Amino acid sequence: MDASDATLLERLLEHRNARWIVGGASVATLLIVWQIAGATETIRSDLISYPTEIAASALAMIESGELATHSVVSLKEFAQGFAPAIAIGILLGLGFALSKPLRYLIEPLFVAMYTAPLIAFVPLLVVWFGVGTQSKAIVTFLAAVVPITINTTTGVREVQEPWIRALRAFGASRWQIIGKAILPGAFPVIMAGLRLGVGRAIVGVIAAEMYVSVYGVGRLIQTYSTSGRAAEIFVLVGLVSSFGFVCIGLLRSIETWLAPWKARA
Amino acid sequence: MSQLVVEGLRLEYPTRDGAPFLALRDVDLNIENGEFITIVGPSGCGKSTMLMLIAALLKPTRGAVRLNGRQVEAPGPDRALVFQDFALLPWRTVLKNVELGLELKGVAASQRTEIARRYIAMVGLRAFENSFPHQLSGGMRQRVGIARALSVDPDVLLMDEPFGALDAQIRQVMGSELLRIWERDRKTILFVTHDIDEAIYLADRIMVMSASPGRIIEEIKVDLPRPRDLAIRSSNEFNNYRQRLWTLLEEQVRQSGSWAQPDDAPLERA
Repeated sequence: MDASDATLLERLLEHRNARWIVGGASVATLLIVWQIAGATETIRSDLISYPTEIAASALAMIESGELATHSVVSLKEFAQGFAPAIAIGILLGLGFALSKPLRYLIEPLFVAMYTAPLIAFVPLLVVWFGVGTQSKAIVTFLAAVVPITINTTTGVREVQEPWIRALRAFGASRWQIIGKAILPGAFPVIMAGLRLGVGRAIVGVIAAEMYVSVYGVGRLIQTYSTSGRAAEIFVLVGLVSSFGFVCIGLLRSIETWLAPWKARA
Repeated sequence: MSQLVVEGLRLEYPTRDGAPFLALRDVDLNIENGEFITIVGPSGCGKSTMLMLIAALLKPTRGAVRLNGRQVEAPGPDRALVFQDFALLPWRTVLKNVELGLELKGVAASQRTEIARRYIAMVGLRAFENSFPHQLSGGMRQRVGIARALSVDPDVLLMDEPFGALDAQIRQVMGSELLRIWERDRKTILFVTHDIDEAIYLADRIMVMSASPGRIIEEIKVDLPRPRDLAIRSSNEFNNYRQRLWTLLEEQVRQSGSWAQPDDAPLERA
């Protein structure tokens, strides 16, 4: 690379929208190469499809109502699993951090659950709770509750002594200390747990649906896989990862909004 | 009757090897309303420990603390603390940090803001009420700490090396400002320091503590006129106090061996 190239690249990277320009260029290049490779059958298009075909499939799936029907079911399962995972994860994490007996009693189970392939329990859960949304919500809950709990515990244990001392000096009660020092102090770490939890929850919903279900985005992926429809699979995977992207962005905004003290450049 | 009475205050705690460690040895104090008391002593002598016992953040092995005739049993806003490390809540703005004590005291929200603003103005931070602690300098942070402590209208202000983390110039300015504030409402202040000049400059009386285990070995009444300004530090009288205090402390510091220890001896922080 000669000197003029270097300065051009340097100037580009210094631009205030460098992230979007460079990122956009990289995505655009990929799309163009993909389009050419697929549309000209340089690589078999029934295996890799190509962007315009995928876009056409997406439109067809939206028009038929298929995408909406199945998305609503998945979304419901996600919400039913993730919302209680937040509540219970934070409560349990707080309990683990503040009570040694509780921590010793239940934490090993959580560590085991963190690495266990939860998806293996789906057949059992289906037997216990049926093929409907309930069994998927439970998989989602189990997947998400673990990182939320573990992060809450870590966050609470990293709360700094002076914060608690400041409250104790004014005669604060135990609950005031939890509400005004421990939870706000642990908040950024708890939010990081929520972000980890979102990813695991989404994978949990889709994987569980692929296993056994009547409705859901996972079900659709399963259907299109068996009939070898690459374009539709790309549409669905894109949908799921966009949803995750939005969730994590949302969580980040909530964090900067509620904890501007942590959001330093 | 003295307002703050400390009787036979003693603190022992078990160490790792099982032998009890004596942190504070039978301290007596009688402090009148509105007095400015400074407490000096070698590092690790237990002067901060004594403050924590008066605040009731620590429980004494023996002895009692009485404030206005009532025995002190638990921490409370009648004895507000100012800490060396400021102990501000980083997620709260200056205003919300100052409101903390009022919140815990159960003061209504509208009144809280009004009172907090008054004390923020008093410490000269009016323009910074919406800033976060990490955006402020050390001196400004401690002003917040002082405003927070004063806002609950305590009977006694307990200051634990409040300017210890600040550099020398800021430290002198903060001392003068503290005097200016104190001249206005004459709160009783107990001020722990290991800076001799600071101890003389601020005090009505100086309590000199021995090397560990700490007890009060001497009480020096400071008869310098008030209000005082920084120039007083170069006067002859001031120099006499300085020499007297230094002689007393030198002996204690040599005994404690704290000249060989880091500034924040762990004993002190126990």
